[in-house]
Amino acid sequence: MTMKNPQLLLSMETRRKIMPYLLIAPVIIYYFIFWLFPVINSVIGSFKDIEDQWTLSNYIYIFKDPVFYQSVINTGILVVFSVTVEFLLAFGLALLINIKFKGSSVFLFLAMIPMALPAVAVGAIWTSGFATRGWLNSFLMTFGFIDDAGKFLFLAGGKYASMLLIIIVDAWQVIPFVMIILLAGLQGIGNDMKEAGYIFGGSRFQVLRKIIIPMLKPTITTAMILRIISAIQIWLIIVMIFGFNRIPVLLEQVVLNVDELGSEFFLRIGMALSVIVALIVSLVAILYLKVSGSFEKKDGDSE
Amino acid sequence: MRKAIVSLLLISLMSTGLLLAGGQSGEDSNSPTSLVVSSRLYSRATETKFLYDEIFPEFEAENNAIIKFEILDDEPLLKRARLQSETGRYTTDVVIAGTGWMPQWIENGYVEALPVNEWNDRTFSEAFMSTTSSGGKTYFAPVGADVYLMLANKDAMKYLPAGTDVQNITWEQYINWAVAIAKGEGEGKTAVTGVPMKSLIYMYGGMFLSFGGEFPVINSEGAAKGWKLLTKMKDSYSPTVMTYDNVTIPMKSGETWLTVAHMARMGEAYRSNPTNYIIAPAPKGPAGIGSIAGASGFSLPVGAPNRDLALKFIEFMTRPDIAVRIARGTGGFLPPIDEAIEVLGDSPIDEVIKKGVMVLQNGVLSGVPASEYTSWGAVKQVYDDVFSEMILGTGEFDMAVLDAAQNRLDALKK
Amino acid sequence: MNNSIKRNIFRSARLTSLYIVVAGIALIIIFPLFFLFSFSFMSDYETYSEWPKPLVPSVKAEFMIDKDSEGYHLYIYNKSKKDFAGFGPISFNNSETDLTKLSKYIKIQANCKISIEDINSYLSIVDRDGEIRFSARKDLFANYILFFQVTRDAGPSVLRSLMVALFTILISLSIGGMAGYAFARYFFKGKNILKIGVLFVRMFPAVSIAIPMVIILAKMGLTDKPLGLSLVYAVGQISMSIWVTASVFMSIPVSLEEAALIFGTNRIGAFWHITLPLALPGLAACAMYAFIGSWNEVISAIVLTQFNPTFPVVVYKALIRSQSQVNLITAGSITQALPAIIFTLIIRKYILQMWGGVKV
Repeated sequence: MTMKNPQLLLSMETRRKIMPYLLIAPVIIYYFIFWLFPVINSVIGSFKDIEDQWTLSNYIYIFKDPVFYQSVINTGILVVFSVTVEFLLAFGLALLINIKFKGSSVFLFLAMIPMALPAVAVGAIWTSGFATRGWLNSFLMTFGFIDDAGKFLFLAGGKYASMLLIIIVDAWQVIPFVMIILLAGLQGIGNDMKEAGYIFGGSRFQVLRKIIIPMLKPTITTAMILRIISAIQIWLIIVMIFGFNRIPVLLEQVVLNVDELGSEFFLRIGMALSVIVALIVSLVAILYLKVSGSFEKKDGDSE
Repeated sequence: MRKAIVSLLLISLMSTGLLLAGGQSGEDSNSPTSLVVSSRLYSRATETKFLYDEIFPEFEAENNAIIKFEILDDEPLLKRARLQSETGRYTTDVVIAGTGWMPQWIENGYVEALPVNEWNDRTFSEAFMSTTSSGGKTYFAPVGADVYLMLANKDAMKYLPAGTDVQNITWEQYINWAVAIAKGEGEGKTAVTGVPMKSLIYMYGGMFLSFGGEFPVINSEGAAKGWKLLTKMKDSYSPTVMTYDNVTIPMKSGETWLTVAHMARMGEAYRSNPTNYIIAPAPKGPAGIGSIAGASGFSLPVGAPNRDLALKFIEFMTRPDIAVRIARGTGGFLPPIDEAIEVLGDSPIDEVIKKGVMVLQNGVLSGVPASEYTSWGAVKQVYDDVFSEMILGTGEFDMAVLDAAQNRLDALKK
Repeated sequence: MNNSIKRNIFRSARLTSLYIVVAGIALIIIFPLFFLFSFSFMSDYETYSEWPKPLVPSVKAEFMIDKDSEGYHLYIYNKSKKDFAGFGPISFNNSETDLTKLSKYIKIQANCKISIEDINSYLSIVDRDGEIRFSARKDLFANYILFFQVTRDAGPSVLRSLMVALFTILISLSIGGMAGYAFARYFFKGKNILKIGVLFVRMFPAVSIAIPMVIILAKMGLTDKPLGLSLVYAVGQISMSIWVTASVFMSIPVSLEEAALIFGTNRIGAFWHITLPLALPGLAACAMYAFIGSWNEVISAIVLTQFNPTFPVVVYKALIRSQSQVNLITAGSITQALPAIIFTLIIRKYILQMWGGVKV
């Protein structure tokens, strides 16, 4: 490629300064056109009442509603447990697949299937599984683990048992997502690095802790942050198994207000709730990035 | 690697070509007009197929038209109407919406008034007038009505209290039956849609009508009588009743044996194995058989590209003889047109329709006054809350709970 | 003992335990999928009227017909009850209409094809002997066949969906990948804020901005077109692509690029020949997420399309009122999932492509 173009007229330094902005510009433009306007629209809407007058009443309504606090707590529990469980299992799986063993490529494929399923399939699997006369109980009964009287009432459990079911279902579907990001990152770590570790007498665990994890850190951060953001926004699987309002979580309440209750008033409550959710998510995300030390300092540059 | 990128580029080029080609499919001026009908009704595959095979050809031949019948839920239907009205790009000619959603269509000005007075060979059932019309104008021509019926698994018959006629059962007998089943089987086997904001309000709203209540007042004398009876059922519902999205699945699987439910939902269970079930009108109270009646309705969306043809289509579909044919062919819905019901009464049709017509003709009916409330979903939630608190929860009647609930309902009134 | 034998024993023990772990995890993953698959080959009767439910679909069904004063009665063998159980109409006679209905009923509920002539001949035996037992082969693919009968224009919609997915991949990878590279390789003012900013797009609940977003597209005349949907789907995907690619680019040592620069290629050349191949697993992962995300999306697509629906919309419309027919739903959703699964099968190669070392 010969490049006798005006770029040469600019100094190396200026090019280095402008380049990142040029690379990011398309994203900014894209979001400006397709995303920013609707969001501003919805933020403004959240501060207006149904007569189009400025008001804080939508927010006051939410903060007075006990369901809101319940949904914050439920979401918190779900996020903490599901993200932890999913991350640890996904990391283990990624390390496992990263070992060359016979059939690992088939194994990877298997692990990826749940992620590729449409929501209707996931709903069908689990609603027909957890039902009292579902396949889980049928399986246990066929193999004689239980009899009719001993069948499990999966769906009649209390709040925490129900949330455990949600975490299991979510983990089953989401682990491959986290695993693949980690796996992609692991691929970038050359074998020579690991071998060097072993040569200097490191144990398997030490190599993992001293070499792999530090090198994988950007990837881990990415996987965690993307996962935290989506975990705070879990709703569909809950609604598919339990319906609205049984185990209130933040995003389910947004969907309920925006789409289900069907009135201008609740639409605005939904908008205000969206703003609150966005604030909570970004706070958690920033907190995570701060704690994990992912913000770059000026002198650190990129590497 | 390079291969992969090159092939990706090739594919993208190809698909761009396809996209452009797809965008330019123009229409011949001599070809028949296509009439776009978006519907929430007749959504089961067999129902749609019946319309295409038996009903539409007649209209299409008469008017040189092609009907594009499209199934959508109420909520996306309304969303799309909003999209079309905000952008001014109208593509839908006829909309069939559910009664619960009609107020939103009318208030937002998405639909035009229909010239129902010009169609003088038909009288639309009184039960739906409050929802289909507004300000003296009728916006929806009702079709596909439904009422609430009772369905019992034959295995439950051995617990039927002595002297009870299933086809003429009272609420008190029904509840004693449910209690007896639970006692005998060791677990509750009665179903309702326990998932919030579905049809629980209609199941028990109908019950309260049969005690002289008024829908959806929750603390009237009649309603209080009903709630009091229901408290006896604390342990008679299936343990997982709170997660039932509809009663069809538990009734089909034998997880539950008894229910009073929407005729389409329970019709599905009944038709899956008629010999296994008994179908009957909803239980009655001192005031008779109470039932909430729902329906769907044809409407003409504002800006319909083929307005005249759309009106012709609505007129055609609501002719009494056509309505009867549709009801028979789609089985599970009733024609809410007085003239059509008269014809229906004499013919030996499906068990489900027969019982439904019986309730529709002789019952104490109420439509869904969704338009009087700011959010009908929130009204439903009030019923769900009282049910889970007083029936499944404490199992003790408490008038204070009902009064508090009524205050919530009043607050939701426009 | 010989050292090498010891090492061998140790190695094979470790290998065995590895395979036990792998097999256990694979089982957990497959277990629910197995039932999804199994149900799709069962009849309505098998999925609902047996308790416990059968775990695998049967290949035939057994029937019995007897007769009393009311007329004929049909029974089907219920494996869980180990006995015949009433099936179909309460009673029927040998009229044409009754038999047509019966034959249709058996086909829908038991997935068996029994012709009217056959039933007639069975009935004559019942008249003679009082009852008859017979079995019929079950049509294993009946649910899939029914699903395709009730889905209208499935073919073109699959093509459209593929296009939507492709555009989404192209948009999100090109725009997102560029920005990801910038975040990984450069330091500039506002970097942290911008990086959080693109993430914020995923933080704001999509439901509450879906309609305004769709209206913008509609005003641009992009409704009912694959490109329009891709533009919506790309919003979330771009932000994910940025973060994933950035983290992948970051883990590739700059020294490799610098080495290439020394050997006379320019920055673009270094990126093209060195960094991009190394980043391929990450890019492949992004492509896969974009594909799966856009392939399975229904909520926006329902509103944005009318005459040119995507495949998931077609499936959704076919299954919308079939919640109580899990056999049909599983057949439909497996059909819908198939292309996405095939895509992951293909892309998997690129995610794992660096095995055995890279040739730089």
